[in-house]
Amino acid sequence: MAAGTPKARSRRGHGLGERAMGRFFLAPSFAFMALIALFPVLYAIGMSLYRIRGFDQDFVGLGNYLDALGDSGFYSAVFNTFVFTVASVSLEFVIGMAFALIMHQAFVGRGLTRVVILVPWVVPTAVAAQVWRYMFDHNPGFVNAVLGTDINWLRDPFWSMVGIISADVWKTAPFVALLLLAGLQTIPRDFYEAARVDGANALQRFWYVTLPLLKPAIVVALLFRTVDALRMFDFAYIFAGYSNSLATLSVYAQRYLIAEPDLGYANALSTITFVIVMLVGLAFISRMGRQVVGEAAPRKEKA
Amino acid sequence: MSEVPRPAGQTARAWAAGALALGLALATGCGEPPQDEGDESAGLADDPEFVWAIGSSDRPAHEAVARLWNEKNPDRQVEIFFLAATADEQRQALFQDLQSRAGEFDVLGLDVIWTGEFADYGYIESLEDLRPEVEDTSLEGAVDSAQWQQEMYALPYSSNGAFLYYRTDLVDDPPTTWEEVLETGTEAAEEEGIAPFVGLGDRYEGFVLSFFELFWGAEGELYDEAQENSTFAEGDAAETALDFMVRANEQGFFAEGYDSMVEDDARALFQSGEAVYMRNWPYAVPLLAGEEGEESAVADDFAVAPLPTFHGEGSTSVLGGFNNAVSTLSENEELAREFVTWAATDPEAQDALLDNSLPPTMQSIYDETGDPDFQMLGDILADAEARPPVPGYNSLSLAVQDHIHPAFLGQTDPDEALESVDDAAQDAVGEE
Repeated sequence: MAAGTPKARSRRGHGLGERAMGRFFLAPSFAFMALIALFPVLYAIGMSLYRIRGFDQDFVGLGNYLDALGDSGFYSAVFNTFVFTVASVSLEFVIGMAFALIMHQAFVGRGLTRVVILVPWVVPTAVAAQVWRYMFDHNPGFVNAVLGTDINWLRDPFWSMVGIISADVWKTAPFVALLLLAGLQTIPRDFYEAARVDGANALQRFWYVTLPLLKPAIVVALLFRTVDALRMFDFAYIFAGYSNSLATLSVYAQRYLIAEPDLGYANALSTITFVIVMLVGLAFISRMGRQVVGEAAPRKEKA
Repeated sequence: MSEVPRPAGQTARAWAAGALALGLALATGCGEPPQDEGDESAGLADDPEFVWAIGSSDRPAHEAVARLWNEKNPDRQVEIFFLAATADEQRQALFQDLQSRAGEFDVLGLDVIWTGEFADYGYIESLEDLRPEVEDTSLEGAVDSAQWQQEMYALPYSSNGAFLYYRTDLVDDPPTTWEEVLETGTEAAEEEGIAPFVGLGDRYEGFVLSFFELFWGAEGELYDEAQENSTFAEGDAAETALDFMVRANEQGFFAEGYDSMVEDDARALFQSGEAVYMRNWPYAVPLLAGEEGEESAVADDFAVAPLPTFHGEGSTSVLGGFNNAVSTLSENEELAREFVTWAATDPEAQDALLDNSLPPTMQSIYDETGDPDFQMLGDILADAEARPPVPGYNSLSLAVQDHIHPAFLGQTDPDEALESVDDAAQDAVGEE
C-alpha cells in the first residue's frame, strides 16, 4: 500500500480520493473477512432462534436464551468457567512473571533454561490433558504416591478443578513468560542504571521501573490468557467429560451439539459464550489497556 | 517467535527442544489404544451401488460381511464407510450426513440405543414390513432394540453381552446374587491383598449400563409396555441398586480408581491378577487366556459366568451391539432393505461375525457353536435387556452420569439423585 500512495495522491482532484482508493483496495479483504469470520457468527445467531429436531425447525425467537436462563447446568458452567479463568490466569501471571525475570537474567545456561521452560507450551493441549489425566488417575497415575495423599483427583469436584487449573498453569505459564520477556527486553538498561544511581533497591526497581514500563506487555498477556481461558475445552472435557461439576461453557455447548443434540440450544449457548468473551475482552481493553489501544486509535484517525 | 533474530547456538537448542517435545508427543501417542482409524472408505468395491456406514471398532468382522455380499452380488456391490471408533463421534458423523442432506450413506449401522432418536428425527425408514424376517430368528432383545413405539426401524446385526469374570483359584462357585459377589469378593480380596471388583465405573455410558444391570437385577423396569411413561421410581429396584453401590463403595468393594475405569483398564487389572471379580464384555476372554502371545497372570485361573441378580435367579446383562437401518435419504432404498435383511438373517453373514469374535444376533448360530463360552453368551443374550431406544436416551444416560455417579461416591444425596433420573427418564420419551 505504501508504494501505491504517491500515485494516488497525484490523482487527487480527478478520480478517486486517497481514502476512497484505500477503501477500494481494502474491500476485497473486508469481504473475505466478513465471509470467513462474520458469516459463521451471524449464522450461529440465526440458528439459535430455532428449535431444531432432526429435519424439523421451528422458530422460537429468544426461547433458547430464556431456557438457558432457567437451566442450572448453564449456571454451573458459567461458575466453573469463571473459577477456572480467575484462578488459572492469576497463577499463570505470577509464575509467568517469575519465569520471565529468570529468563531475562544473564547467567550460564540461560539459553537452555529458556528452551526448557518453553517445552510445555509446545505440547498440544489435548495430548497434555491426556497425560495429566493419566498422572492423576489412580491406576497408571502417581500424583497421590508422590504427594503421599489419597485424593480423588478425577471425580471429586473440588480436586478435579484444582487438577485442571494446575495442568493449565503448567501448560500456559510459559506463554505468559514469553510475552512478558519480550516486554522486558524493550526496557532500556539506562533506566535501571539511573534508578540504581538514585539509590533504588531491587524491589523498588521492579515496582517503579519494570512494572509500569511492562504494562503494555502485561495487558496483552492477560487479555490473551483471559480470553483463551474463558473458551477452555480440552482439559475439562478430557478430565471429566460432560460432567456438570467441571464442564465449562464450551463443554456445555458441545454437550448439546453432540451428546444431546439440540442444535438451536447449542447455538444459543455458543452465542452467549461469544458475548461473554467479547464483553470481558472489551472491558479489559477499556479499563486496563487505555494507553495500549488508546495510543494507536487516534493515530489511525489522522492517517 | 521466529521473527526474533537469535544466535545460531540458541536456534540449535530450540530445535533440540522441538525434537524433545515431538518425542514426548509420540511417546504418549503410542501409549493410547489405537483409535481414529475411521472416516474412510474400506476400498472393498470398484463400482459400489450403495454405501454402508458403520463404526470402525470391529473392522474385520464388517469387512468379512461386506466381502461375502460382494461375492454373491457382483453387480450390486456394497462399500463400507468406516466411522470413528467412539459412539459419540459415529453419531455425530451420521447426524452431519443426514442433517446437511448430503445423503452419502444408504445403510446406517446404529448403536442399539439410537433407534428411537433417529426414527423420531425422520432419519430412517420404517422397516415394519420386514418384521416377520427377524422375529423368532434374531435374539428377542435385539429385535426389541430395533423398534420404536412398536414399529421396526432397523434390523438386528451384531450383539454384545456381559460376563462376570471370576478367579477360579479364589472363588469355588460363581455367585448367583450380588450380595454373594460382595461377600465372597471382599473376603477373598482381603486374604490376597487385591481388589474385590473391577468393571466399568468411569462416568460414561459404561457406568450407566452397570447401574441398569443392577436395577434390572432387582426387577426394575425403566418404562411401561408402550414406552410412554417412566416406571423408574416404581417399586424399590432403583433404591436397591443404588444402595448396593453406595454400601459396596463404603466397604471398599470397588477397586481404587473404579470411578475412572473403562473396559480396558478393568481388563488390564484383572489380567495382572489384581482383582477377584470383573464385569466386562466377551472380548477379554482370549486376552485373559493368554492367546496370541498375551501375558496373563490368570491364564489358568479364571472362568466366566452370567451376571447375578439380587434374588438369585436368571441373569440380567445389558444388550449391546448394532442394528442396520435404511436412511430416508437413500436413493437405493430397495437394495438397502435387501442388504439389511440379508445381514440379519443369512447364516453365512452372521457366522462371519462369530468368526471375528463379534457376537451375532441370529439365535441358531449360538445353538450350533461348539465353544462353551459362546453357548453361555447365547443364553445370556436370550435373557438380556435392551436399553430403551427412546429418542432422549442420551439425555437419560447423561442424567444417570450426572446424578447417580456422584451419589454412589457419597458426594450427593441418593434420594435426590434417583428423583432427578426419574424426571430425566420421563423427559427422554420425547413428548414435551
